[in-house]
Amino acid sequence: MGSAYLINLAFNGVILGLIVALAALSITLVFGIARFPNAATGDVATVGAFAGLAVTATGGGTAAILGFGVLTAAGLSLLFYLILFRGLADKPPVASLIASIGLAFFVRAVLTFFVGHNQQVYPLPIVRAVPFGPLRVQPTDLQVIAVAVLALAAVFALLHLTAIGRRMRAVADNPDLARASGIAATRVLVVMWLCAGALAGVSGTLLGIKTVVSPEMGWDLLMPAFAATILGTIGNPVGAVLGGLLIGLAQELSTPIVGFTYKIGVGFLVLLLMLLVRPQGLFAGNALVR
Amino acid sequence: MEAYLLAVAVIALIYTLLTLGLNLQYGFTGLINFGVVGFFAIGAYTSGLTVLAGWPLPVGLLLAALAAALASWPVGLLSLRLRIEYFAIVMLGYAETIRLVVTSESWLTGGVRGIAGIPSTSAALGLQADPTLVTFAITLAAVVAVILVTRHLIASPFGRVIRAIRDDEDAVRALGKHPGRFKVTVFVLGNAVAGLAGALYAHYITYISPDQFVSLLTFYIWVAMIMGGAGRIGGAVVGTVVLMVFVEGSRFVRDVMPGVAEVEMSSIRLGVIGLALMLLMRFRPQGILGTKGNP
Repeated sequence: MGSAYLINLAFNGVILGLIVALAALSITLVFGIARFPNAATGDVATVGAFAGLAVTATGGGTAAILGFGVLTAAGLSLLFYLILFRGLADKPPVASLIASIGLAFFVRAVLTFFVGHNQQVYPLPIVRAVPFGPLRVQPTDLQVIAVAVLALAAVFALLHLTAIGRRMRAVADNPDLARASGIAATRVLVVMWLCAGALAGVSGTLLGIKTVVSPEMGWDLLMPAFAATILGTIGNPVGAVLGGLLIGLAQELSTPIVGFTYKIGVGFLVLLLMLLVRPQGLFAGNALVR
Repeated sequence: MEAYLLAVAVIALIYTLLTLGLNLQYGFTGLINFGVVGFFAIGAYTSGLTVLAGWPLPVGLLLAALAAALASWPVGLLSLRLRIEYFAIVMLGYAETIRLVVTSESWLTGGVRGIAGIPSTSAALGLQADPTLVTFAITLAAVVAVILVTRHLIASPFGRVIRAIRDDEDAVRALGKHPGRFKVTVFVLGNAVAGLAGALYAHYITYISPDQFVSLLTFYIWVAMIMGGAGRIGGAVVGTVVLMVFVEGSRFVRDVMPGVAEVEMSSIRLGVIGLALMLLMRFRPQGILGTKGNP
């Protein structure tokens, strides 16, 4: 096991970490503003990935996969808010959490009913890996990294540079004060759910490009994404991204030690240990929700 | 037909045990346990392996409950430090991790192939009787025992404290009671019941594999509990009966609509459980039988 192997693992860890980070940021936005952990995030990502698959049937490339996947996921996310979560807003967060699990099951059921359980891949051209010293880099890997970083940057720009982003942060920080200052909660929520859905869509399509598209991919992504969210202090966008990277790296770098099968468990183990030492998360200082 | 009804009744009773355990945790104490299936699996594998190794059935059942209790104790402690929603998610991950361990440690659990040839209850007890009937009798006795113990517990001072924790944990603390010890106790007790249910399941089905212990089962139990009305012992029984009518009834859908394949049926079952969770939360969080104002 040379250092080259480790470097390649770390590189893969960063890519998977970015994908987890996108989903984690989606979860943290919803938690910060709608105040519940949304278990349907993963399955919205799955639908985004399958929407991308549908568009490849008409000859679409990477850009079409991403575009259509993200639009579908964002639209679906808004729809779920309008027909389900809006009506649950005045109930305890537990009600929304349980309903979101029901929604996750329902989405997966509809998907498996129509497309079956098979794993599929995007019909993208296979490109030879380019060696960078010890590192072997697939050109698609670079695309995945670029898209993920751009998507994350876009969300942070929205949160910090635009008026609606400032309102979102205000609602997250103190809903009553925000309302008293005349911020219309509905608009903030609509933008937030669109944003959360789009992030899930990016996460799902990138995971599909990096690995395979399957109806269970989103549910499997949910655990590491939740772990990343809690790790980075739930409600804290920067924390969610760093938590995602940490989980991705931990999962990949632990492969030589714990083997392939326990990779998924590592994210959970990291989370458990962290919760024992620092239950408020790593970045409790500047969270959206304190 | 009687044999079929009896078989359904055994599964219904096993699910009732799980619902009673969850009801104690969520319905009476407000602890969100999304990891029910993990403790069910621990019970199934513990008793299956113990009895296969030649130990008597009662030892297997006891060890199953103990193992599930032991496995829930450390995560139960986490519930003291975590917000309720975090804890729920941690439990979901814990159950997945248990399944991962069961799948990976094939030297012990047979991995994905599972364990076949687990002695049925009557074989383990050395009886000549119909194993379904014996399992039915034992499970019914277990359900009755758990109901009696739960009722006793709820009426006791301990029961008053846990219901107070559910309603207002800060108030309990203000009155000088420490909620932590009570929460962990309830959590461990409920999961011991789930472990016992798992053991009975293993000796009834006589074959266990990781596929039988997916998170969907946890939410079957959640639907059963919420339908019956969380915090009502009778509700747990009624909710499970309604659930079983659905789960078993869905088998007959294919007789009516022969064009539906089994994989599609499993999608439909998943979808209906999902829909039930959403509709219940949206319109009747107090359950179908519960009245407004009940927990």
